[in-house]
Amino acid sequence: MAAEKLYDIWAKRNPNWEKRYEDSVIKNFSDYGKGVTRLGDAKGKLFGAGYEIFIIAFFIGLYYNQRRKLIDDSTKIKSFGQPIQYWGNIDSVKGRKAYPKLREFIFTALIAKTEFDFIALDKNLVTARKAVDALMQTMEEYANWGFHFIEDKLIDNPNYFYKETAFLEIFLTFDTNSSTLEDDEPESLD
Amino acid sequence: MKLNKIIIKNFRSYYGENQFELSDGLTLVIGDNGDGKTTFFEALEWLFDTSKTNKSESNISEMRKMELGIGDVDEVAVTMVFEHGGEKEICKKFIFEKNSDGSITTRDFSFIGYAIVGSERQNRNGQHLLEACFDTVIRRYCLFKGERELNVFDNNTALKTLVDTFSGIKQFDSLVEMTEFFEQQSDSLVTKELRKDKKQEDAIKRIEYDLTRVQGDISDTRKEISIKEKAVSDYETRMRVLEENQDACENLHDIKARIEQKKAEQRRLRSYVDLDYNAMLLDDMWILRAFPSVLSEYQRKVAILSREKRRLQKAEDERIAIEKGKQEAIKEIQKLANDATPLPWNLPDKETMQEMIDDEICKVCGSPAPKGSDAYNFMVNKLNEYLEHIRKETELAEQSEIPEKPLFENSYINELHTRSIQLSGDTEQEISKLATVIADRLTFVQSRKIELEKATRDLSEAEDAKMQILIQTPDLTEEMLDKSFKDFKGLSDSSKRASIDLLELQHKLASLEERKAELKEELNKIVPSNGIVRVYQRVHTALDKIMKAFEAAKNRNVEDFLRMLESQANLYLKKLNAEDFRGIIRIIKTADGSARINLYSSNNTPITNPGGAQKTTMYMSVLFAISNITTLKRDEDYPLIFDAPTSSFGEFKEDVFYNIIDNIDKQCIIFTKDLLKFDRETGERKLDYEKINQLSCSVYRIQKQAGYDEEDLSTIRTLTTKIK
Repeated sequence: MAAEKLYDIWAKRNPNWEKRYEDSVIKNFSDYGKGVTRLGDAKGKLFGAGYEIFIIAFFIGLYYNQRRKLIDDSTKIKSFGQPIQYWGNIDSVKGRKAYPKLREFIFTALIAKTEFDFIALDKNLVTARKAVDALMQTMEEYANWGFHFIEDKLIDNPNYFYKETAFLEIFLTFDTNSSTLEDDEPESLD
Repeated sequence: MKLNKIIIKNFRSYYGENQFELSDGLTLVIGDNGDGKTTFFEALEWLFDTSKTNKSESNISEMRKMELGIGDVDEVAVTMVFEHGGEKEICKKFIFEKNSDGSITTRDFSFIGYAIVGSERQNRNGQHLLEACFDTVIRRYCLFKGERELNVFDNNTALKTLVDTFSGIKQFDSLVEMTEFFEQQSDSLVTKELRKDKKQEDAIKRIEYDLTRVQGDISDTRKEISIKEKAVSDYETRMRVLEENQDACENLHDIKARIEQKKAEQRRLRSYVDLDYNAMLLDDMWILRAFPSVLSEYQRKVAILSREKRRLQKAEDERIAIEKGKQEAIKEIQKLANDATPLPWNLPDKETMQEMIDDEICKVCGSPAPKGSDAYNFMVNKLNEYLEHIRKETELAEQSEIPEKPLFENSYINELHTRSIQLSGDTEQEISKLATVIADRLTFVQSRKIELEKATRDLSEAEDAKMQILIQTPDLTEEMLDKSFKDFKGLSDSSKRASIDLLELQHKLASLEERKAELKEELNKIVPSNGIVRVYQRVHTALDKIMKAFEAAKNRNVEDFLRMLESQANLYLKKLNAEDFRGIIRIIKTADGSARINLYSSNNTPITNPGGAQKTTMYMSVLFAISNITTLKRDEDYPLIFDAPTSSFGEFKEDVFYNIIDNIDKQCIIFTKDLLKFDRETGERKLDYEKINQLSCSVYRIQKQAGYDEEDLSTIRTLTTKIK
């Protein structure tokens, strides 16, 4: 029997996030916690399922290339109900399209950005689980920084994101050509 | 009655005291929209309202209210000074005071009249004096607000009220009733007596039976006629309304089509503009706009890993190969250590060797090799070597079946590499094009937004135009205009059919009435046996004739009144349209007892769609005629007061029109925005002195004091200037 792919092991996982963003960011922008996911159908939320705002936060962290370690207290950590493999399967939601392919790009980004000895993995010196742990940590840390970024904007101006193009505009600021943003000094959030 | 002066104090926009001196003929009060024309008119309405004590705060000048200090007091007052059997005055007023909390209290409402008797000024009750000199009925034919009120016959009771008030026909009513009563009494008496007459019983029964039947038919036919008349009248009204508003109907139709088109355009553009950018970040993966660098980082990293893995694998392979090679080489070297050139280990084979040992002969060289000899021992050794080799080889073969543990047990890097290959090419292209796609889309949306703004502007213009049409046709709702446009033909057909039906019914009624008269005659011809019944019969015939004479006289009088009104009105119409086509006014009594004023051409064709000015002069002519009749009737002249009667006048010769009114020997006050001219330099509307100087009447100008705040009522003040 062929071994399970790294992607599949990863896709079964559920990223963690800090509870402190649950009200200020996640519930503020998505239907998270509403039971049945109606994806933005309810009360003009900008996003549907909670993971959507997580994805946004992740990409903000990714493009700024800024990570933020999660708090070292498991009681202050939460995760979503849906593993990554279901993210973006929202074909049935009115006015929305499914975006399963996006998961693969997230995965590639994690591989690119995670310091891990993949040679040792192939030599079976470390387990695939360890590798996926490392990927998840990268994912969570980028998103954590993204959440922090969003919250910071909200503190300055609670209505900052209630402009239809507010999130898009953030993503329009990132350079599309340079290989990475590593050399750029992003604005300090601390 | 002649008005001398009207003084308005602190009434709404009239701040302080504003005095208007009125001439015997026409006084024009000129003001633009919002300058205070209607307020003036409403001040008079307030003065003339005898129904209640109205000291409403809303009638107080906001400017004056604003200006008052706490505890300050002032009054709202409207005063009218007039001649009516000597100089008289009525004044309605109330006091207002500013409280410490800034609110206003009103009090001391009074309605006082004064009469100048000799040199003395005597107090009177205001309401009584007003009713005595200028009663409600007269006022009804003296004050007209807007163009629409000019048609005095606009409701069903209007004709009756007018006739009752001015014609004296009312006196006929009791006489007609009385004669009807006598006729009925005598009729029933005669019938009763005739029934008792045994000789004529059969004949009478037959006639009575026929009479009842005919009477029933007559009553049914009358009902039908009444219904038909109503229908014809309704159709006519609707047709007239429709004809009058045909342009409006068509314009409305066009504009509505335009509104629909613009709405559709708006919807279409909105669908382009109303994008959920947040959803697009995910659904259209716009979030990957800056991803190309991450993707290439991944590809680079995976390529390096893949290369490294292959390099390590190659090194491992080489190591294994070298290991194997070494073993082989050692074996080779061991064999080469023997002195002689040895035969291969498998020559001769096992069977040959065994045979030679058994036969004790070397069958290679043919020499005997007896047991114990060197040759014999050599052969035994050789066989043993052979067997040893086979054993080792078997052992080796068994050993090589257990594989050596490989360097790489997993192929995750291959998985990553495969993914990298899959993501290159088309997908990579797509991601790198995203930035352009997004920029193009945003530019596209921006242009649609500009188009949407324009469509929205166009739509609101069209809506305004629609409102304008609806405002210009205040009698009609949008639905009516819509419907009219659709069923004009149907309406016209129905109207024709109903007219024909009505005519037939009228013929039928006439013949029924004839039949009834014949039967009555027959009844009268029956000679009763009893002489006294014969007398009753003759008395009844006489009373019947008297009753009919009174009825006819009454109708004749109404007709005469209307004809008089008509002829008087036509005299005014001729004056008011001195140099223009005017037509002839006809006042027609309708089936439902009301009257309609229509304009006809002299060849008896109705003018179905008179222009605004034509219609207004028509109505005004009737009003002047009524006023004349009032003068005759009451031996007293009354002023006529019009608020904006000429608002639908297009290119009317205003100066000519007003000069005519000034010369028709009636006191008139007209509030109007005519005779104002747009000043291109200042953007304001100013008096048209060129035209005003040609007028002989008095002219007042009212206008808002300049420098007012558009949103603050307390900055509005009407200024009054006597121009001439």
